[in-house]
Amino acid sequence: MARHGLPLDGPGRRAALLAASTCLLPLLLQLPMPLPVIIAGAAMTAALMATRGAAPGWLRTVLALAVFGVVVAQGGLHLGRDTACALLAGMLAIKPLELRTVRDARSLLGFALFAPFATFLLDQGPVSLVLGLLGAALVLAALLRLSEQESGLPAGDVRPLARLSAVMRLIAIGLPLALAAFWLFPRLATPLWGLPDLSTARPGLSDEMSPGDWIDLLADDAPALRASFRGPEPAPRDMYWRGPTLMHYDGRTWTASSWLRAAPPAPVEHGATVWDYDLALEPTERNLLVALEMPLALPDGMRAAHEHTLTSERKLDRVTRWQLRSAPPVRFEADLPAAMRQLALQLPEGFNPRTRALARQWRAETADDGALVERALAWIRSDFAYTLTTPLAGRHAVDEFLFEQRAGFCEHFSSAFAILMREAGIPARVVTGYTGGVRNRYGNYWIVRRMDAHAWNEVWLEGRGWVRVDPTAAVAPERIYDTLADRLGGGGAGETVLPIADLGDWVLRGWNDFVLGFDAARQQRMLQRVGLERMETGGLAALFALCAALALGWMTWWIARSEYERDPLLRAWHRLDRRYARRGLGRARHEPALAWAERVLAAHPGEHALLALTRRFVAARYAPASSDATLITALRAHRPTPETRQ
Amino acid sequence: MPALTGLLRRIQGWVRPRHPEPLPVRLERRRIYILPTGFGAFVAALLGTMAIGALNYNNNPALLLCLLLVGAALASLLWTQLQLSAMEVRAIQGEPVAAGLPMPLHVHVEAPPGRERRGLRVDIEGSAATLSLDDTGGEATVALATVRRGWLTPPRLRISTSRPLGLARAWSWVWPQTRFLVYPAPEPVGPPLPSNGGDAAEPRLDPAGEELHHLRDWRSGDAPRTIAWKASARRDVLIVRELERPRGDDVTLDWRRLGGLDHEARIRRLARWVDEAERQALRYRLQLPGAQPIGPDRGAAHRHACLRALALLPEAG
Repeated sequence: MARHGLPLDGPGRRAALLAASTCLLPLLLQLPMPLPVIIAGAAMTAALMATRGAAPGWLRTVLALAVFGVVVAQGGLHLGRDTACALLAGMLAIKPLELRTVRDARSLLGFALFAPFATFLLDQGPVSLVLGLLGAALVLAALLRLSEQESGLPAGDVRPLARLSAVMRLIAIGLPLALAAFWLFPRLATPLWGLPDLSTARPGLSDEMSPGDWIDLLADDAPALRASFRGPEPAPRDMYWRGPTLMHYDGRTWTASSWLRAAPPAPVEHGATVWDYDLALEPTERNLLVALEMPLALPDGMRAAHEHTLTSERKLDRVTRWQLRSAPPVRFEADLPAAMRQLALQLPEGFNPRTRALARQWRAETADDGALVERALAWIRSDFAYTLTTPLAGRHAVDEFLFEQRAGFCEHFSSAFAILMREAGIPARVVTGYTGGVRNRYGNYWIVRRMDAHAWNEVWLEGRGWVRVDPTAAVAPERIYDTLADRLGGGGAGETVLPIADLGDWVLRGWNDFVLGFDAARQQRMLQRVGLERMETGGLAALFALCAALALGWMTWWIARSEYERDPLLRAWHRLDRRYARRGLGRARHEPALAWAERVLAAHPGEHALLALTRRFVAARYAPASSDATLITALRAHRPTPETRQ
Repeated sequence: MPALTGLLRRIQGWVRPRHPEPLPVRLERRRIYILPTGFGAFVAALLGTMAIGALNYNNNPALLLCLLLVGAALASLLWTQLQLSAMEVRAIQGEPVAAGLPMPLHVHVEAPPGRERRGLRVDIEGSAATLSLDDTGGEATVALATVRRGWLTPPRLRISTSRPLGLARAWSWVWPQTRFLVYPAPEPVGPPLPSNGGDAAEPRLDPAGEELHHLRDWRSGDAPRTIAWKASARRDVLIVRELERPRGDDVTLDWRRLGGLDHEARIRRLARWVDEAERQALRYRLQLPGAQPIGPDRGAAHRHACLRALALLPEAG
């Protein structure tokens, strides 16, 4: 196939390849293994081949099919968001094979711009953002180079760094417009179409729990939420961020009850203490929310299940912010319906015989529910240890944990405790969520990380309703209540590293507040703060148009600046000239000022004033000593006399 | 297609400048046009898609990236226009050439300092050149196709650029009110120069000659090697030899003697002979109808005078 166009030169090719691979990089980092390795290999092969010129058509077809095959083999035929992104990455990787002309390079760069965009759909972390922006800047720099080649400038004419600084200048000039559009452009309150799901789930709270499956989560120090309190703050001991409540147990996995989710929330008597706080949740791929126990009222878009498990109407696939009020419960579902009681006592047959035997033995020895709970906690406190290294559980997982290993983490403790209680006839369930939090020393807020994920229990006691019991806290309270500083052991390293980490998180939170979490609701709130109460879409569009016009005006001022006559005297003189030119009496380019005025006077005897004015102008302009204060005003005021008008 | 060309002509009638204008010409806002290139339209579609996607998913980093690119793209449009803005075409100079050969036009451009203007494109009827301004001035040479002898009024000249990003092309027309002389195209092959010019052979003084013409008194400025030492010794004053070289006859290139040829063929033959005479370093005289003979003489100025007279001969009939 013959291609027409300017063949690409070496520097242009290198610039295009560099920009495309930088754009590809953040996308690769988001793909599940081993896709990134395969695609990176394909990209490098393609880039190497591209340096020798374009590859033959059949080879390109074969490679395209191969990439497609690998992606489908990895992600399956379910076209999720990450499959689509993997396809994009694969195609972008082999696109350099047809890099022959300037036009090819431009289409490569155009497609490359989609890679950071796709990355942001998958991840909005700082690494993706920085790499994405860098990639976009390099794309612009490569476009600069291509344009230089097209206009016949030699490659050595502009240094690459100068090119990058030119790109930065372009972005800086466009920045006011971009920001005006970002803050003011009407946002969609509800999307026109939904976001395709990720084919693979991300770690985060889920509505099920099997022993051992939280290991990844507990090692992940990425933020899960940030909370800032207005007024009193809860003690670390009260910072239980309640998430999904798990009712069903099948011998291995705890799951949430789906029919309870539709049931109305159980009645709660709240205590006197009230916490007012703003919650900023990092994105997950689920609808599950957490809140301090127990929320007093729910904001729009959030609903509570029967056990006060919170869900949002929309998937939390970006940073979301909620205003909440919570008060600790005094009595939580004091009257337990029979159906609920039965559900909270249900246990599958044929699992963990030793645990159940122990529970029955305890029941026989202790009549009081509260005493039984205490007994179980005392046993755990004395005989058990906290560890994250646990062997893979067998069929009787709880038996193995209670009687052989006697070491584990929150999943093991809460699961075992709930089974003990249920077998002893006390309604019990597992509650998941986060505990604790670390106060940031720069911003007035608390940060809760994914590693703070926790599972605890609730048991139903007569007269008090559901009561929180945390068996893990009995073993390892430091794991739950202590701050990160304590966990790092208070060593010198921890002391010096932490302020920087805190500062970094504070900056990230600002980014979250002003950029990531910005949506239609925040936009309204921002406008309210500057006094614009109700802003309809039309008004908002008008405001945006105004700001955009201002920004564009600022940009256009740049053009005018160079053509603007700096000298006010000359400016007034030229305007005068233009007024006469409109009557067909303009001064010719070669004509001296006085000759012109005399010519006009000869044709139109009424123009004495012009001649006098011209004399003054010539004197002011060419006789340096003279100063004529009113000349400019006179020049501006002067009009051709009426009989000159035709 | 005729409708399209008609429309194009209408548009050409609207664009500035609408008439030829005297140089220098300043490129100001009102005569600089800017339109997106094909690639610019592609990028616009791309950014539009990205913006709609980002707004739909309320994906703020993607939106911000998209808006930054939009801002940079708009800034690049301004930059493109600024490349041309306030530039001044000072002069356009054409070197006379024979009809049919491209005429090099030197376009001299000046601009106020303080802005880098590089890689501008100057084109005229399909021929293009790159123009880069160093400091404040620059020059580009484009080739203008010539067809007929005589005065050539140049068409509009376009100065354009798509830098920095290639998203849009800004251009401005310059229609210089000037004319360039096109010499007649010489006959490609033809008879040799006419031998008998009519004038008697006349030896001429030539310092590079070998034969003695006469002796004269020394004047300041004479080269020492021209001094005739023996003769000087005899006469007691410095005597200088004046040398001469015998040369062929002056050639007369006479219009009337080419009676067998038609009007344009005569001109072409005479143009060929002028060049031939120059090549042989002969003195020649050009005799055209209804005009004083030109020459006899030789050299660049004489050749120019002859070819100019030939170029400006009226058309036949």
